[in-house]
Amino acid sequence: MASIMRSSVLRQTALVAKPAFRNNAVKAAAFHTSTQRSAILPPGPQRIEGTVNDPAPIPKPSAVDGSYHWTFERLLAAGLVPLSIAPFAAGSLNPTTDAILCSAVLLHSHIGFQSVLIDYIPNRTYPGLRKFFWWGLNLATVTVGVGLYEFETNDVGVTEAIKRIWKA
Amino acid sequence: MAALRSSSRILSSSRAAFRPSAVFSRSMASVSETEQPRTKSFQIYRWNPDTPTEKPKLQTYTIDLNKTGPMILDALIKIKNEQDPSLTFRRSCREGICGSCAMNINGQNTLACLCRIPTESASDVKIYPLPHTYVVKDLVPDLTHFYKQYKSIEPYLQRDTPAEDGKEYRQSKADRKKLDGLYECILCACCSTSCPSYWWNSEEYLGPAILLQSYRWLIDSRDEKTAARKAKLENSMSLYRCHTILNCTRACPKGLNPGKAIAEIKKSMAIGA
Repeated sequence: MASIMRSSVLRQTALVAKPAFRNNAVKAAAFHTSTQRSAILPPGPQRIEGTVNDPAPIPKPSAVDGSYHWTFERLLAAGLVPLSIAPFAAGSLNPTTDAILCSAVLLHSHIGFQSVLIDYIPNRTYPGLRKFFWWGLNLATVTVGVGLYEFETNDVGVTEAIKRIWKA
Repeated sequence: MAALRSSSRILSSSRAAFRPSAVFSRSMASVSETEQPRTKSFQIYRWNPDTPTEKPKLQTYTIDLNKTGPMILDALIKIKNEQDPSLTFRRSCREGICGSCAMNINGQNTLACLCRIPTESASDVKIYPLPHTYVVKDLVPDLTHFYKQYKSIEPYLQRDTPAEDGKEYRQSKADRKKLDGLYECILCACCSTSCPSYWWNSEEYLGPAILLQSYRWLIDSRDEKTAARKAKLENSMSLYRCHTILNCTRACPKGLNPGKAIAEIKKSMAIGA
């Protein structure tokens, strides 16, 4: 129906417009470098390597980074629920449950932040920045770990502190 | 289609109540001249690779809905035919089975052929290409990488043992049922390009569409390369960049659930089944 309604003049202009479809990589590159972006986060290559017949590369298999990591992460997260309820439900505060809770929270947040870094600072584009933040995170985790150890040994401990603050 | 269109016009016409006889005569006519035009504006993303220094822009086209089919694709074809032949978009089947016309309509990735033109509000319809894809021209995205990823999961039946009867690989009804909700995927890339995690890491993360296809071959009872297929996903990027955001499930124009498929893969890899 639509093709009948279309005038012959429009059909001619459509024929003229046809070569416009061809992608001009050189001009496209010129366009993208013309935009003002900071040098810290340069734009990507703006093109895809290879053709549809080349399969995308598959990373080296490693269960430690894959399924083991995922299972451990989920078990840890699920374990935090009883760990944080237990000391208050039981009514007794002892250093052992405190220590387990502290290390579990610390590990949980460490894994969580690692995931954030993997998402936002990809190794393929910013390997240096990634390494910097990765070790920064390790340092932060160790610092917090030492702080929690000091708090547990020389002060009242985490659960006792929460109990004192919590006036509900 | 024509019958559907004319009946919807009767329902929406406010003047039909005053002229009941006109309703019947109008249902026979293809285009009614006396009817008030129902105009709708479409703001469409335009970028031409031949003038790459020109910034991409939104171009507005106004059409009369009385003379248009009910779907966004009908409107796009009408604009291309009658107003601007340089408007470029992919389309083929116009019934949601080819996946060519995937685009971002009013902020939602969907197929233009399955998306009705919203008539309840007077606001403009905004149409963009699929987000976070390289644009070839106007509404045409470059899906090369998407297809490369599809190729990397080896989406075909792989087995070493021959069929028992030497003819075909048989499957129980229960095993066949497991493929329902997976085989219908048309690879339109609506889900993958709606996934924030895929936006950030599309170079390495496979994305919901490819993982749904991956699961389709993992649970196929006839396939014998399940272990090898799972080993390919055993890294931090290919599968585990999924954070269960579920934009994929919301976007899927075919009503499939890629989020669930990914969760099933994670589960089976965790318990080693």
